[in-house]
Amino acid sequence: MSFENPWVHGIVLGMIIANVALGITGYSIWFERKFAGRMQNRPGPTEVGPWGLLQPIADVLKLLQKEDIVPRSADKALFNLAPPLTVFAVIGTMAVLPVAPGWIIADLEIGVLFALAMASLLVFPVWMAGWASNNKYALLGGMRSAAQSISYEIPLLLSATVPIILADSFRIGDIVEAQLGGNLFAFWPPGPGALAFILFFLCSLAESNRIPFDIPEAESELVAGVTTEYTGMKFGLFYLAEYLHTLIISAMAAAMFLGGCDGPGANDGFIWMLIKTLVLFISIFWIRWSYMRFRSDQLMAICWKLFLPLGLFLVMASALWVHWT
Amino acid sequence: MMSWIAFTVIAGVILTAALQVVQSEDLVRTVFWLALTLIGTASLFVHLDAEFLAAVQVLLYTGGVITLMLFGIMLTRRGAGVRIEHGSKDKPKALACGIALFGAIVYSIYSDKQTANAQISDMAGTEELGQLVLGDLVLPFELLSLLLLAAMVGAIALARKVDP
Repeated sequence: MSFENPWVHGIVLGMIIANVALGITGYSIWFERKFAGRMQNRPGPTEVGPWGLLQPIADVLKLLQKEDIVPRSADKALFNLAPPLTVFAVIGTMAVLPVAPGWIIADLEIGVLFALAMASLLVFPVWMAGWASNNKYALLGGMRSAAQSISYEIPLLLSATVPIILADSFRIGDIVEAQLGGNLFAFWPPGPGALAFILFFLCSLAESNRIPFDIPEAESELVAGVTTEYTGMKFGLFYLAEYLHTLIISAMAAAMFLGGCDGPGANDGFIWMLIKTLVLFISIFWIRWSYMRFRSDQLMAICWKLFLPLGLFLVMASALWVHWT
Repeated sequence: MMSWIAFTVIAGVILTAALQVVQSEDLVRTVFWLALTLIGTASLFVHLDAEFLAAVQVLLYTGGVITLMLFGIMLTRRGAGVRIEHGSKDKPKALACGIALFGAIVYSIYSDKQTANAQISDMAGTEELGQLVLGDLVLPFELLSLLLLAAMVGAIALARKVDP
């Protein structure tokens, strides 16, 4: 069987991409702790290995050793099923991620839609975890998470429609190709592209429950949201899924609005994709350690009164741009 | 061969999940089994090269409708830790109805020459579908969205307790 065979292609490339992403995710936790530390004028992890570089490995070993507790009144099957499903839904999105020219697991005709559909599936395992825990804080966290996700999905879809209209294709490969030669959608056409990029980025933050959209796990009210009852590696899987999701939305935004693998002097393009993704990824940490979370009512007001009309306007503006040029 | 294996696996998942939807006595689990059934159907669409339909199925049915069902359960539940049970009565009659419906669908597919001989390659891709919906059928399409809007406004008006 050759590499051209879709099964071989998918499995080999999928293994490589998923493992690289997991590696980056593991080290991003170290990076975030260092970054947050420096922002708050403290050193961050320093003890385990040089500059604390072995910290993520130590963390995982610690999580693996922890006792696995299942609450007596929990719905055992659903309780155990939820953490792996969260990771599954996030990794599924990677199938349409263009890592470098020609390096994409499946360049589907409906790539963007597939990625958004997979991300929308993430609501289930989170809600499932909240329900199965049989704990009021977990349930409230799951509830808030589901409400937030389905609300912000609408402006997210609308903002993702802008590059689709500009590139005249659902295929992520075509969207990247339409931006070749520095013609990034975030800058050209002036206006709708840049706003759609910001909108996409903020809605993705809301989808992945990151600050400032993290009321589903507001510590002061909900203990730890859906993860309250989880211990050991099951908690670790939720954590992993959250960071992986953040990494993937950065990569999606980089591909859809910042030209993906295209850049000056790029031979293989992977390095540009990596730089763009990491810049967005780090800016998420930056936002996290700089801002407070929104209140529930602010969250809903922003979504329905600001993002939704803005999204509709951007779709119309980009359609008019394509129509007149 | 690969295609046949894929079909068998997907069909197995759909059948198991669908059976569990009617068999399960816990309402929450029923909803999750229904979600699995819908995802299975979406996989079947992918298997038949109808990728757009699959993505829309997952996005709207699984991501939207099922989530709203979960909301429904959440908002009507009384007390924490109570299992909501529901059963299905009169299973023989239900089985007979199911078999009759299945027979009717199979008959209607095979009695029509066009559907019986349909090939995957005859099906329209995403682009043709888009042209059709936003071109020839744009008026019915817009009317449908207007109908949904009216339904939504009506629902809000009914659910509202007092006039502001």
